[in-house]
Amino acid sequence: MMYAGIDAGSRAIKVVLIGDDGLEIIAKGQVDQGVEQDALAGGLFEAVLARAGIPRSDVRRIVATGYGRNAVRLADTTITEITCHAVGVRHLMPAAMTVIDIGGQDSKLVRLDEKGKVRDFAMNDRCAAGTGRFLEVVAARLGLALGDLGPMAAQSQNPAAISSMCVVFAETEIIGLLAGGRAREDVVAGVQTAIAARIVAMAGRNVEPPIVFTGGVARISGMETALQMALGRPVVVSPEPQMTGALGAALLARRHAENM
Amino acid sequence: MSEAPRQITLREWDRRYERWQAAGVPQPAYGGPLGRHVADGDTRLLKLRFDNSPAALRLWNFLLTEEDRLRAARAGGKRLVGTMKDLGTVPVMAYSLDNLVAFYPDGAWWIPCVMEVNSGLLQIADSLGIDESFCPVRAMLGAFVTEAHFPIPDLLTCSVGATCDDFSAIAQRLNGLGHPILWWEIPHRRAPEEGEEAVLLPGGFSAPKSQIEFVKSELQRVRFALEDLAGRSLDDEMLARGIAQANEVRRLLAQLQHLAFTAAPCPMPALEMLIAEMLAIHFCSDRAETIAVLRELLEEVNRRVAAGTGYFPADAVRIFWVNPVADLRVMNLLEDCGGRICGTEYLFTHALDPIPVDVPPLETLAQMALADPMVGSAIDRATRIIAEICRFGAEAVIVSRIPGASHCALEGEIIAEMVREECGLPVLEIEVPPLTDAMAPALRTRLEALVETVRDRRSR
Repeated sequence: MMYAGIDAGSRAIKVVLIGDDGLEIIAKGQVDQGVEQDALAGGLFEAVLARAGIPRSDVRRIVATGYGRNAVRLADTTITEITCHAVGVRHLMPAAMTVIDIGGQDSKLVRLDEKGKVRDFAMNDRCAAGTGRFLEVVAARLGLALGDLGPMAAQSQNPAAISSMCVVFAETEIIGLLAGGRAREDVVAGVQTAIAARIVAMAGRNVEPPIVFTGGVARISGMETALQMALGRPVVVSPEPQMTGALGAALLARRHAENM
Repeated sequence: MSEAPRQITLREWDRRYERWQAAGVPQPAYGGPLGRHVADGDTRLLKLRFDNSPAALRLWNFLLTEEDRLRAARAGGKRLVGTMKDLGTVPVMAYSLDNLVAFYPDGAWWIPCVMEVNSGLLQIADSLGIDESFCPVRAMLGAFVTEAHFPIPDLLTCSVGATCDDFSAIAQRLNGLGHPILWWEIPHRRAPEEGEEAVLLPGGFSAPKSQIEFVKSELQRVRFALEDLAGRSLDDEMLARGIAQANEVRRLLAQLQHLAFTAAPCPMPALEMLIAEMLAIHFCSDRAETIAVLRELLEEVNRRVAAGTGYFPADAVRIFWVNPVADLRVMNLLEDCGGRICGTEYLFTHALDPIPVDVPPLETLAQMALADPMVGSAIDRATRIIAEICRFGAEAVIVSRIPGASHCALEGEIIAEMVREECGLPVLEIEVPPLTDAMAPALRTRLEALVETVRDRRSR
């Protein structure tokens, strides 16, 4: 039998299928988020099944997670992304004690215990300054693709200080910096540092290593370095960071099925 | 009329009320369908779910008719005292004089929620320079300007000093608008130094005797002002009788809390318990009726406990809640997400503690005022919260911040850290503005994640 996890995130919907042993991802897929979340999730799910040649009847249980989880009607149940990211990351990196997930519109810090269960968590979803949205704004302002930000930031020798606590004001600040002749590389690196600073503010004390970085923003190079600098500890990017929520959902689907 | 406990909508309440009315079921003078409050602009009620007992209906109607009661009291020749900030001391004194009625203008902080910000009170506060960087209590300024939510009191008192800074600023602005305030000072509670005479306060704190004496002298000034307003003296015997009545309210609430927080299934939802607890501060402008309302509620709870009926699945997660919410709907949301309240600290625990009766009345009231969680250190407050968490066996803690409220920003993190370290429980910090609709999905995620975390911990 198969188990499916669907992560309906703010920027993308991700699907992961795992088998009975739960050891590896059998199939996966991703599509941009949109208004018709249920239809998008359903379409992606069917497409992933079709590509892998797996009949729908082989999928025993489906768990949806992510901010749009309640819109995914084909799911048997929903579980929050906090729990799912913790399970997904711990599956991939069994030593992880702290999970930092920066997504398109929120960011989370999840503390785990020695068994991998969630001990505590903090979440920022009221301010875009600690989220991928900040990077999108900067990319749009600079006319760059999101994927170009990392390489550009890597060229900076002197990241700009972005002092605004709000993305809207920060955008104005960035315009001022660019108008003042500041290099684009320094501005992008400054934004990465500012995002990392927000995560550290949310984390407070007691960020226990190993720290694993996940979520869509973890794919942008340079962000893990910014986090490392801000936290003063090593940060490791999770394998397939954008998929960990869906993977965790699939693993929980399997666990639930076993308990039924 | 005794039905299985169920949370119902306002429309269901109104249909039910019609049936009761047709059947001749007696209602208090302020009774009636809840829907009439929506017609008055309290549209948030349409989005809440209410306990289905007659006792709960009486509680809600009692709460929502306070303005009528105040106007009737004035028309009947009584004098009105607006008691600001002290949360439970001056009202005990005022109600000791039978021609005074005290109320709590700060209670206007819920109007933006209940009227879904259509009241315009916050905009008026904005225009007076008290913007959203201040606590939602600033709605009180708008209520004084419009005179639409309570009559202007004949006397205004306000405790100041070791109270929250933003409230003091709001009250000072009110004073500047031509509403003179009798300020009485409450010092920051400190531990007695070596050699100083110490007094053990309700709630387990202690303070130097000199601080009690100081607060007593401040309350003496308040007593004189109340006597002037009432046109009669307020002697210790009258105060003692007032204290006895306040203690009856507190006794009923203590019983209610114990049952609502510990019984399985839960006999009364969080929202009704929040409203009931608030009655301790100022008696909703009618002390005798407060006692009657609480007695009926307690009877209902006792009936449910005896019958083994109540709310929520057996695995509902036991949550201790810190700070009151500006949006009442969040209490419903917590329960939707699988939580149940088993302990609260809404910033006025001193108004729920029994008032000692073995010392002179003014001294005991000074002790109560100094037992206010807001006038001591955050560590004191956290210590008491931790004791309550242990007493009620909470599995998680929610620290709910009030936007703009300076003490929440300062104290929330300290409380959260101490609870994590000493109890090893997960703590969720959330901010609850007067209307949470826009952030409801995010709030739900946090609450659900907290519930998931606790359930997962249980399986360890």
